[in-house]
Amino acid sequence: MLKKSGKRILRSPVTMIGIAVLTAHMAIAALAPWLTPYGSSELAGMPFEPPSREFWLGTDILGRDYLTRLLMGGRITISVALCGVFIAIVAGAFFGLAAAWHGGMIDEVIMRLVDTKVAIPSILLVGVLIPGFGQSVPVLILVIALVYVSGVIRTVRALALTIAPQGFVTAAVLRGESNLSIMCREFLPNVLDLLCVEFAIRMSSAILLVSSLSFLGLGISPPTPDWGLMVSEGVGYIHTDPWLVIYPSIALSTLVVALNLTTEGVANALGLDAARGMTKG
Amino acid sequence: MLLDVKNLTVGYRTDDRQFRIAVDGVSLALDKGETLGIAGESGCGKTTLARALMAYTRPGSKIVGGNVFLDGTDILALPDRQKHAIRGSRIAMVPQNPLSSLTFHMRVGAQIDEIVCRHEGLSRRQAQEKSVALLAATGMPEPDAIYRRYPHELSGGQRQRVVIAAALACRPGILVLDEPTTALDKTTELRVLELVSQLREQFDTALVYISHDLNVIARVCDRICVMRDGRVIEAGDTRKTFASPVHGYTRRLLDAIPRVNASGPVRPLRADSGEAPILEVTNLKYRYPATGLGIPFSPKKPGTLAVQDLSFSINRGRTLGLVGESGSGKSTVASVISGIIPPGSGKIAFDGVPLNRAAPERPADLRRRIQMVFQDPLSSLNPRLSIGRILMRPLRVFFAMGHEEARQEAARLLERMDMRAELLDRFPRQLSGGQQQRVALARAFAARPDLIICDEVTSALDVSVQASVLDLLLSMQAESGVSCLFISHDLGVIKRVADDVIVLQSGEVRDAGPTSDVFTAPSHPYTQLLLEATRNVFDVRPAASDEAALAVQ
Repeated sequence: MLKKSGKRILRSPVTMIGIAVLTAHMAIAALAPWLTPYGSSELAGMPFEPPSREFWLGTDILGRDYLTRLLMGGRITISVALCGVFIAIVAGAFFGLAAAWHGGMIDEVIMRLVDTKVAIPSILLVGVLIPGFGQSVPVLILVIALVYVSGVIRTVRALALTIAPQGFVTAAVLRGESNLSIMCREFLPNVLDLLCVEFAIRMSSAILLVSSLSFLGLGISPPTPDWGLMVSEGVGYIHTDPWLVIYPSIALSTLVVALNLTTEGVANALGLDAARGMTKG
Repeated sequence: MLLDVKNLTVGYRTDDRQFRIAVDGVSLALDKGETLGIAGESGCGKTTLARALMAYTRPGSKIVGGNVFLDGTDILALPDRQKHAIRGSRIAMVPQNPLSSLTFHMRVGAQIDEIVCRHEGLSRRQAQEKSVALLAATGMPEPDAIYRRYPHELSGGQRQRVVIAAALACRPGILVLDEPTTALDKTTELRVLELVSQLREQFDTALVYISHDLNVIARVCDRICVMRDGRVIEAGDTRKTFASPVHGYTRRLLDAIPRVNASGPVRPLRADSGEAPILEVTNLKYRYPATGLGIPFSPKKPGTLAVQDLSFSINRGRTLGLVGESGSGKSTVASVISGIIPPGSGKIAFDGVPLNRAAPERPADLRRRIQMVFQDPLSSLNPRLSIGRILMRPLRVFFAMGHEEARQEAARLLERMDMRAELLDRFPRQLSGGQQQRVALARAFAARPDLIICDEVTSALDVSVQASVLDLLLSMQAESGVSCLFISHDLGVIKRVADDVIVLQSGEVRDAGPTSDVFTAPSHPYTQLLLEATRNVFDVRPAASDEAALAVQ
């Protein structure tokens, strides 16, 4: 089965491109501190220097090496999105399974809270929560988790509802297994592939969200190098030095597109339907 | 010749992009007004053949060779537009599941209108008149009312009648029926079969009847083709074929069918040990809980009464068969005893201990002593766990075995079930239906129970597989002395395994007693009707008894 899926991935050039670009991004993010000749906040040259042998992509408004900042710029975004989405997936799986398995009041309460959350636009939620709790990385992670958890709860609950009436769950109940054991042994293995796809889908959306927040001044604070922040810093000079905006935009979009291509390709190869409903929630 | 199929070959592409042949060089012929039965077990290619007769294949499959001549024209060679015109007007099909073949958001009448309008170009009003007449022809009491109903408002038998009416709408020369009664109760099946025979004469239609149930084919068809692995291995006159099958496979199929009216060997009755019964149920009543949203103060609908005043007992080492059609409450009885749902009123005593709580609140030892096997083997095994893990779980829960010990015991159990121990590392989907049900049985026997509840355990299996699973159950029972509550709608199966039997209808007992007595001298008309419906036609074939049975109903 895995061998067959592997073959299907190899046969799909689009998926292979996605995987290659994604791998490159991850490698750069992981190795950036060793790849870059300058410190990310080091004022290495004069402001707005053109590309040269010393500064391959020139320098930014303060004279920092732009290549260095570009290579470092994905690290914090990716980590924040990763942590936030991970929390959303774990919490979403827990509450989604709990809602489906317990039913009744617990289900009602969880699902009405989810409905409430869905009714509030994400950007509004973030715009209130971040200034309210203070602009810091932990708050940012929790806010990301909150934005995505509702969608995960819904999809997990929907799948779990189809698992609950099956014989193997009834058999576990008749054995007298505890609720926790039923969730972990009977439900979790059956929702695991859904969770993986959810994780990948939410990841690309979360990366965009973190970058937008940084652009709006609600996300990562200067002087940390970050693509969203770099776009926002460069946007005032778009007529004279458009590269300040173009480079980080290319970096961000290639990462997101590569992530989406990989998710879709891998999920299709594994035969998971989840990939077909790539939705925000 | 009305329909002449020559060397028809249909193949399909598998997941790993190989091309497999589903129907392999099948030739058959059908004359005006004839009835042809196509028999075979699941996966033998009979449905694919049925579709190919209409020059249609499922997406992914392809007709790769042969011809289908309808009145002398090869319909496979026709352009798509003409193929569409033939389907429904000259050759029509009744698919297996009547619920999924009717669109649920449309009134059933409108769905018949559609066919009439398309093929005969009638106006809406004319179409409606015609549809109502068709519904009336299928013997439904209020065709006008049925016309305006939605599929979910009809019973299974009514839905199938609607589908048959739709298929007959344009008076096709050939009607292809693909397992039309498999999803129906036995008594309903009998009535639908009666209707099919009657309409066949009235509409002068030739029938191609596809079924895994040789009994049904014997009732309806003059000629029979037995299929296996995409090939026709035996064909001929139905009565002759059943009387003296040429091919070994046909004989095996016939032998595997559990007989109700067999003169053959009946299971030796296990001696009544004289001890107190293992399970005693007195005046059990069960009403489904009121349905509502579960929010305080929200409106509630009172639940229906599923079981009324049921009393029975099971003696040690014996098997009680519980017979009834869908909705008779037999599964509810199983659920109450096993503890899936909390008990209603009445008394249930298991070995002297009252069973007055649902399974999670029962003592662990009590849970171990009552085991249940479910109808659908695939859904009763967790698809993501290996067979080993599935079998080891009860051993670890009930006997606190270590990993190694449990694995050895699981391997021993598998071998006891005539399966190789290597299967421990496989996953449920990699096993056949029969193997899956054996694993489910092994899981139940792993707990070394005193009572085992089998809820329609063989209904999802092919006849030949069914026989081997039943044999296995019987031998396990003889070995371990376990008592058994065996639930089934199939009287043949019950006859084979049960010492005593209870016949349930709408939650009430209609007949009860030792199996041989109930089957030879049924006291209640409903039991007689059930027996009539499952009678093995190819053993004795009296002509007029079908009507007699219907008159009883």
